[in-house]
Amino acid sequence: MRTIETEVIVIGGGATGCGVLRDCTLRGIKAVLIEKNDIASGTTGRNHGLLHSGARYAVKDLESATECINENRILKKIAWHCIEPTGGLFVTLPEDDPTYHNRLLESCKFAGIDAKEISVKKALATEPNLNPNILSAIWVPDGTIDPFRLASANILDSVERGATVLTHTEVERIMLKQNQVAGVQCYDKVAKEYFEVYAPIIVNASGVWGQHICQTAGIELKMFPSKGSMVIIDYRINNVVVNRCRVPSDGDIIVPGDTVSLIGTTSRKISYDKIDELVVDDDEIEVLLADGEKLIPNVSKARVLRAYCGVRPLVAVSGEMDGREISRGVVLIDHKERDNVQGLITIAGGKLMTYRLMAEMTTDLVAKKLGNTSRCLTHKIPLPGSEKRVGYTKKIKYFSGIPNSVVGSTHYRHGERVHNILSLQKRNYGLICECEMVTLGEVEYAIKNLKVKDLVDLRRRTRIGMGPCQGELCAYRAAGLFTEFGEFTPDTSTKLLKDFLEERFKGMKPVLWGDGLREFEFTYWIYQGLFGLGLVEEEEK
Amino acid sequence: MKFDCIIIGGGISGLTAGIRCVKEGLHTAIISSGMSALHFSSGSIDVLGYINNKVVYKPFEALDTLTGTIAQHPYAKCGKALIVEALQFFKQECETQNVYLFDNENLNHFHVTALGTLKPTYFSQRSVFNEDVYNRFKSMKKIVIVNFEGYRDFHPQLAAAQLSKHALFANCEIIAKSIDMPQLQDLTRHPHEYRSIDIARIFENEENVYRIADAIRLAAEGADFVVIPAFMGIHNFNQIHNILQSRTRLLIYEIPTLPPSILGLRIDNALKSRFAQLGGVYIAGDKVVRAESSNDVVQAVYTANHPENPLEAKFYILSTGSFFSGGMISEFNNMYEPVFKLKLHYEPERNKWYSPQFFYSNSHPFLEYGVVTDENLRPYDSKNNIIQNVYCSGAILAHYNPIREGCGSGVAISTAYKAANQIISLYKLMR
Amino acid sequence: MIKLENISFDHCIKCTVCTIYCPVARVTHLYPGPKQSGPDTERLRIKNPQLLDISLKYCSNCKRCEIACPSDVKIADIIQTAKWRYSKKEFRIRDFLLSRTDLMGTFGTIFSPIVNFFTHLGIVKYFLDLVFQIPKGRTFPNYASMTFRKWFKEARKYQNKYLEKVVYFHGCYVNYNYPQLGKDVVKVLNALGKGVIITKEKCCGVPLIANGYIKKAQSHGRHNIRVLSRALPHEQARIVSASSSCSLALKHEYPNLLELDNTPIANNIAYITQYVLEEFEKGNIPNLKPLKYTVAYHSPCHLERMGNVAFTIELLRKIPGLTVKILHSECCGISGTYGFKNEYYAISQAVGSELFKIIEEASPDFVVTDCETCKWQIEMNTKYTVVHPISLLAEAIE
Repeated sequence: MRTIETEVIVIGGGATGCGVLRDCTLRGIKAVLIEKNDIASGTTGRNHGLLHSGARYAVKDLESATECINENRILKKIAWHCIEPTGGLFVTLPEDDPTYHNRLLESCKFAGIDAKEISVKKALATEPNLNPNILSAIWVPDGTIDPFRLASANILDSVERGATVLTHTEVERIMLKQNQVAGVQCYDKVAKEYFEVYAPIIVNASGVWGQHICQTAGIELKMFPSKGSMVIIDYRINNVVVNRCRVPSDGDIIVPGDTVSLIGTTSRKISYDKIDELVVDDDEIEVLLADGEKLIPNVSKARVLRAYCGVRPLVAVSGEMDGREISRGVVLIDHKERDNVQGLITIAGGKLMTYRLMAEMTTDLVAKKLGNTSRCLTHKIPLPGSEKRVGYTKKIKYFSGIPNSVVGSTHYRHGERVHNILSLQKRNYGLICECEMVTLGEVEYAIKNLKVKDLVDLRRRTRIGMGPCQGELCAYRAAGLFTEFGEFTPDTSTKLLKDFLEERFKGMKPVLWGDGLREFEFTYWIYQGLFGLGLVEEEEK
Repeated sequence: MKFDCIIIGGGISGLTAGIRCVKEGLHTAIISSGMSALHFSSGSIDVLGYINNKVVYKPFEALDTLTGTIAQHPYAKCGKALIVEALQFFKQECETQNVYLFDNENLNHFHVTALGTLKPTYFSQRSVFNEDVYNRFKSMKKIVIVNFEGYRDFHPQLAAAQLSKHALFANCEIIAKSIDMPQLQDLTRHPHEYRSIDIARIFENEENVYRIADAIRLAAEGADFVVIPAFMGIHNFNQIHNILQSRTRLLIYEIPTLPPSILGLRIDNALKSRFAQLGGVYIAGDKVVRAESSNDVVQAVYTANHPENPLEAKFYILSTGSFFSGGMISEFNNMYEPVFKLKLHYEPERNKWYSPQFFYSNSHPFLEYGVVTDENLRPYDSKNNIIQNVYCSGAILAHYNPIREGCGSGVAISTAYKAANQIISLYKLMR
Repeated sequence: MIKLENISFDHCIKCTVCTIYCPVARVTHLYPGPKQSGPDTERLRIKNPQLLDISLKYCSNCKRCEIACPSDVKIADIIQTAKWRYSKKEFRIRDFLLSRTDLMGTFGTIFSPIVNFFTHLGIVKYFLDLVFQIPKGRTFPNYASMTFRKWFKEARKYQNKYLEKVVYFHGCYVNYNYPQLGKDVVKVLNALGKGVIITKEKCCGVPLIANGYIKKAQSHGRHNIRVLSRALPHEQARIVSASSSCSLALKHEYPNLLELDNTPIANNIAYITQYVLEEFEKGNIPNLKPLKYTVAYHSPCHLERMGNVAFTIELLRKIPGLTVKILHSECCGISGTYGFKNEYYAISQAVGSELFKIIEEASPDFVVTDCETCKWQIEMNTKYTVVHPISLLAEAIE
């Protein structure tokens, strides 16, 4: 059996886990990250991608608001290529409580958030697709953040600095030696083999799945999962984050994320045994679309691309089982203190926005345990891709000969790493995904450098198949490239193609009407009617 | 304008009906909103490929089983004799435009897909399957699958791996090759963004065909059978196929690719030029938006381009296709037929339209939704009255699943033929 | 930030059918085709206008992609709008002059013998090529010595004897270059018992749109909608035009591209062959003498887009003795002022070559088509004379 020895094992490839890995690596601590699916495939990749200014929390939770605005400023520096500083609006609709407007303004002031009231006319000029009947508007420094890119950039940096990342690898159990952690037993789902990793410290950063991880070490940790659903609109119906100026509730935010807009979110308690089979309910879609339309009337005319949901990891701090003491903030547990298990740390709660801060807190504890005295540097050293700040225009000039749309999109996704991806070799910039302008070079780069094991992973790194056609043409094109660029047999490529279409279909099902249904009929016609892809397995038998 | 017959929808079904009507002397117009689904098809004509997910070898014998279980199936309304006649008619009309269809004397044959699976079909273009291939299919020793460098829409390795798993080719070596034609790169756009249409145009130049033939000969030495994506020209395909084969002394055949489908385009071109040749009026890029009727008889239809000018006819055929082609519209929790507001067969709850998985043994229910008709293919309006002078054909019809049953083009042709037949006999009575 | 009005790109289901029917993408690798230039990159341009891929300038706006589209995406409109909305307009004297058909026309007709003489001179063509990037291979249409409007001053006098009146939008070409077509239209309409009204129209705006002068086109559009609607003798009265591009502008480009409200005239506009055919179908058929010609009919792109080709064909079939060969539908390549620019000249000729070939194969007595620029292109590249269907009809009327 294969074994690995290291100093720290990080369980969970969400933003927090990736952040901890990077923080450890930057402090010279040897670390291995283990993720059961793909980077950012859990809660991290299943939110609306809002770069909080903190305003959404300002009225109710001052501490969170302050954390948010601080991290907001840091991320704009170290991760600009994952971020779009669009700005945001809080708008009051005629049916909303008009007093919330002033409360929000005051609270923002208190939290140090640069919020200012603007006239309705100016709001409509800033965001012309806004409901013209709004009563008032506040501008805040909201923005958007791409969680896939953010997590992936943390991983890329760590790997380049010597860390090990094992995706599609499940932690079977935490191994203990008396009261001290010894390591973990893992299962590599791709190679289909068991192996062990040994380390004196284990960071459980597996979010809501952390309850299960703790259980394997015989520790009780209670999670209270809450499901949040969102719908994606085919294109950007807004270029500025639009919030509804009221106590946060369902369907009150529309975030422009890359080429699309997202309407979020609902909040529903679910039981722990349902966290791996989340389903968007039909009525959630109705609520989101109806409320979204109130903010931006074009919602009713636009194609809904897909619907998806994530699960928020809310933790019971003291181990009490009735859930009264649920924290929405960051929870850092040293299990030595709590359960007398030496070497195990759980980091949970918090939000995408504060991932770096959470990682810093966790790594501080790790370092203390290891006797490492290095300081945290993650707020200073830019992530790969964000090293220098060069705008579109300059990039486009640099790559003259390649269309702006291609250079711009690649630069948008990979920042300065665009130089590693695009080259003036024509083959390299031939388009594979025509909706999102993903080139052959980008696919090759992702397969070879970004821990891509299947088409779904490739989608998270490149946006392949995330456009209006949901992979109708590019899925097949990209599947073949796995055989060309990676160590994948043709049969594996075909299987990956099939799995990818199934994965895309999950998000399309709840919104299968209008142009979405037409698109699906066409896609089904190609892959089943023309290619007979569904026959593949039967022929094997 | 006034016509004897107006056909709404210019796909395979509308064109078949149109040709039949014009041939019998009816002044016929086809109104087509956008290009037809033939542009995305395999270019082969499927009559009946599967029953209960099992491959059908003798489609006409299996018809009884099918219509026995699904009484409302459009094939049940056509009857075997008419289906045979309709297919023969279709074959002959295509031949007038030099598109020759191979059929295996009432048996299905298999064509290779781009993924290397085998699909049963009834008619194939001769460059896809013919007697030569048929005779040698089982004794092949070496198959070479060839792609052209820069063509994104085909991965020969995937096809080769899949095809070699098939029992038929157990003793056959199947290899994938890619040929690079640098001298052709400047002839079209980005040399790595070729679509099938770009390469098919390269084939239209005879000198290029010679070069390509030489490259194929080098790549496919000793092969019994060479497979290339369907590129062999848009107009001169017969000639190109002959040149390729005679120059390489190899059997070279095409397989359908990702859209646009050159094989489908050839049939589309053939049917359209046949219809025009016979004097039919083809109105492209326009859409019927409403109809005027009295006493269950449609008087006129109005189009998006001419909302104020009626197009009048004695008879109408509705062959507007399924959701994809705009024959039916689906909304949040509703479906409707936009031209005549016909009675539809469908489930009102949205979550019943689809199956739990993309690839599901029973396919997806929405593919079986469509217009409900009487035995003569006449539809019902929303008040459940039969519309006297309208007939429906093709994918707009309910109660069949073109993909699960592998019968899309067969139903399109047969129902078109039946609809046209009835109009023709009534027309002759009126005269 | 962009206000989203034309969101037809949202209906694109990426079926790729438009890429087959684009004549420009067929002949040049410089243009990535309607799918990519239209709906695909529109989503990116909404995100950030800097993502504009400049290659969309090669679109000639023939609108064949829109005819092909099964999803009702206004592909050509999206591309035209993107041209002026997202990119900076550079002033070019050539584009200015090419787009001011009325200005050039007024000048051209006053000095017609001199202008006509000079525009045909090799040395002048050389100069135009060098200074204005107007290809040497192009010859400008001749200017008439007397405008159509001037001729109509006389003709107006006897229009009052007809009870029923029709408004005629003649367009710049008829007025300055080819008054005979206008005279034929008047003759045909009079033969149908209709009097003709002409208004103080301005250029329909098509060349202005093509050259990016949107504001100017809008002001022309507003003017035309106003004068035409005022001239209507009654609500159902018709406004006819014998130019396929002018009709398309009035009917389609005004609301879809220029965002003008054309409802006061939208339902009154009829392309001339449609109007005449309707009258024929009502039984209002003048005496027609047989014309013993064999003609090849070429359907202009913009007439196809309007859905009017069938009307012209049906009308031609009603002329006794005439043998009509319908040519396979191909773009002639000139696309108005597009083919008059050096950077597009080769593309324009390559697109047209298919059509020239099938015209030669048909070997008719002459070619019939509805569009003036198609006429120039065919006459410049084949040995055939090109005649408007209404001129043929006028000839048949005794």
